[in-house]
Amino acid sequence: MSDLLLELSQSPIFQQAIRQLGVPLPMPERLRRGQGPWAAQPLADAPVVVFAGGHLDAALADALTSAGAAPIVVTPSEPHAAWRQAGEAWARPPRVFGATESPPDGQRAHALVYDGTALDSPTSLRGLFDAFHPWLPTLSRGGRVLVLGRDPSDPELTPMQAATATALEGFVRSLAKEVGRRGATAHAITIQRGAESRLGPLVRFLLSDRASFLTGQPWALTAQVPAPSDVPLVQPLERRLALVTGAARGIGEAIAHSLAAEGAHVLCLDRPGEETPLARVAQAVGGEPVTLDITAGDAAKALTTALRRHGRPLDILVHNAGITRDKTLARMSHEAWDQAVAVNLGAVVTLTDALLDGGLADHARVVCLSSVSGLAGNVGQTNYSASKAGVVGYVRALAPRVAARGITVNAIAPGFIETRLTAAMPIATREVARRLSALGQGGEPRDIADLVCFLASPGASGLTGRSLRACGGMFIGA
Amino acid sequence: MSKLSPAPSRRAVLVGGVRTPFVKAFAEFTRMDTIALGVTAVRALLERFPVPRAELDALVWGGVILPGTAPNVGREIVLDAGLPHEVEAMTVTRACASGLQAIALGVAQIERGEADVVVAGGSDSTSNAEIKLPQKWVHAFAPLALKGKATPAEYISVVSQLAPFTDLMPTRPRIAERTTGEVMGEAAERMAARNEIDRAAQDAFAMRSHHRAAAAMASGRFADELCVVETRDGQRVHADTLVRADTSLERLSKLRPVFAKNGTLTAGNSTALTDGAACVLLMSEEKARSLGLKPRAAFRSFAFSGVDPADQLLMGPALAVPKALERAGLALSQVGLVDMHEAFAAQVLSVLKMLGSDAFARARLGRDRAVGEVDPARLNVHGGSLALGHPFGATGARIVTTMANELALGDHETAVIGICAAGGLGAAAVLERVG
Repeated sequence: MSDLLLELSQSPIFQQAIRQLGVPLPMPERLRRGQGPWAAQPLADAPVVVFAGGHLDAALADALTSAGAAPIVVTPSEPHAAWRQAGEAWARPPRVFGATESPPDGQRAHALVYDGTALDSPTSLRGLFDAFHPWLPTLSRGGRVLVLGRDPSDPELTPMQAATATALEGFVRSLAKEVGRRGATAHAITIQRGAESRLGPLVRFLLSDRASFLTGQPWALTAQVPAPSDVPLVQPLERRLALVTGAARGIGEAIAHSLAAEGAHVLCLDRPGEETPLARVAQAVGGEPVTLDITAGDAAKALTTALRRHGRPLDILVHNAGITRDKTLARMSHEAWDQAVAVNLGAVVTLTDALLDGGLADHARVVCLSSVSGLAGNVGQTNYSASKAGVVGYVRALAPRVAARGITVNAIAPGFIETRLTAAMPIATREVARRLSALGQGGEPRDIADLVCFLASPGASGLTGRSLRACGGMFIGA
Repeated sequence: MSKLSPAPSRRAVLVGGVRTPFVKAFAEFTRMDTIALGVTAVRALLERFPVPRAELDALVWGGVILPGTAPNVGREIVLDAGLPHEVEAMTVTRACASGLQAIALGVAQIERGEADVVVAGGSDSTSNAEIKLPQKWVHAFAPLALKGKATPAEYISVVSQLAPFTDLMPTRPRIAERTTGEVMGEAAERMAARNEIDRAAQDAFAMRSHHRAAAAMASGRFADELCVVETRDGQRVHADTLVRADTSLERLSKLRPVFAKNGTLTAGNSTALTDGAACVLLMSEEKARSLGLKPRAAFRSFAFSGVDPADQLLMGPALAVPKALERAGLALSQVGLVDMHEAFAAQVLSVLKMLGSDAFARARLGRDRAVGEVDPARLNVHGGSLALGHPFGATGARIVTTMANELALGDHETAVIGICAAGGLGAAAVLERVG
């Protein structure tokens, strides 16, 4: 599972040799990943440059200073009063630069955050260039870029305004590829009118070391789902009851660990035959093993019976169980087709539907694992891609139906993740999969787990019906 | 749950307090350890406020640098001071708030009816901080020490355990956070920068502390609180030795920063290492009256708080003071006197700024309005730790005594105390006059 190039890239001698030989070998940057549970101030002392000028000053000032960041505000006019106020409360007074001032020598920035909510025409997009052109060199290795804009689907926007808002997404996708070699990532966030209060937790998460493998991703925040009254910054899943399918190994195991670390009681589900590794995981996370074949005809009934023992509905449901039965369509057996679709999609639909009536709490969080392959397609994976694309459609359709109850439903599409499964791939395929991405490396199971944790947290109420890629900026896929 | 403390059925009152002069470390008190300093203060207290020895129930002591061989300093003081063996004793540590914590425990014992008469206080001798042998020595030699006679082979095994021969030097004691490794002055330096407290404001605050302390000494205001200490070599120490009546902004501004190259903290606006002891006599109100002693003050509330030591190490009082006021049912504006322990001028000014900040109140206290501005005229009216010094465990009883005596003069009804402490802790108490 070890990535030799990533190991070698840490060696100055190797780097020197590659440079001298003139080999066009891109060196991946080792990503910083958070240790232990969420910290109260994940951005402690991190300089964050904010290009102000939109209407998000209050939300950003509060989110950044309370997370410990040292804000640097670049603004054509006087900075918004929120920067002084939040700065005072958290002793993080802003440093202020004029829009035309160049950054001082030696200035480093952990993140560059552009408030593009006031952009409304193609010419105004020049603001992006004017801001990032001089400041991008200050971005640290492993840094973050966020571009914030209006919701392009807002019916009150003119087509020109919608075009401008959508342009931000393309900008970020390209920028993600440019900064990826330095281990830095870039995201676009669009904010629906009235969803401004949902911005803070997402900014906190994306700028933290829990989002190192996510990049080039558009995030759409809406006010569709009622926000919970309390959004804790640490131990966000305290007293939550969670169920993770496919929890015996790999990504599922990592998800169980992360949810438990944030305070959840985790029911670890896997199929018969996996009792030993499942028991080990359940014990390690202080949860309980549940052995169940999720494709069996009575699976839904068996699950609701098992849950009844807890006397309370689930707060978090993670559909992680998945299988591949790869063969080109011409050579595929019908069993291979049936199995892949039944596990990856059929069970997701059946179990969720069964739990919707009484099995899921208000403000519950449903997270389904899709796959970049489901978005992009792959030779030999017609069955798998069909099932994983189906998941995307399922969360999109289900989300508005349960929004009033405060429930969110999202999918995560992992790219190349270093697991037992991918370790078995032929080396050439594996190398291509790793390197053909903005960050030039594969992800770790915990990268997916960190995103699951965020989506499961109360602060993620602004995201629903979405399929989010966790792929290090893979070159394939939409 | 009501934030107001339920009124205890028994009220604990403060009869009086005494302290040794506070003396710069490695000076007059070098050969007196924390126990000897404590004994001196406790003896003086009981001379000044005579209580039949049989009435004494307990002694609660606070300390930060505890002697490794006798960490229950409180009990050693009872024994060395010749108090009855029946006087039970304990020692508490809560960094710089240890002294106030000792008083809080004494008050609680009385309020719960477990005791009627308690001596509470604290002391520290920074001159007698122990040099620590690295744990590596201890672990390597442990098998030999436990076994008795050792063979040459076992000695070789010890030596091999010590290899590689690094980290074997004894470590100098330093006031550094265990979790962050940061020295307290460095943390205060960062607080100064982040709260935008400039050098001039710090120096002005330090100068005022010295001038007020000097005025109190000159007027005899401290005579009531101080005892004379006779050192081992027969020297008699009557007064605090760190106060500089003649300090000026000009002098203070010439001092070089000590914690950061372009920093703002100097020896002038930071507290010096100090030796000393202080203690108070606490009683149930009925007992004081029956013994014919006139109480000077009572305690309305105590509060303790914690913040992330990696963030703003010494911000604790900005959270503890509002908590104590709320429990006492008072607004800051209603309190007559405010006494803040001065670890660093930058730290006190940072805390005061936050108490006066609406933004802080909203973000950190969940309140709409700031706790309040503190009028400099009622803040640290007789100076503070910057001028007098800060023998860690002694500061709580020093402040409580000064405030109780000030209340007894009759011009004010209440006083609030705030103390910051290592580990990101804050401590506060509200005192009221007893008529």
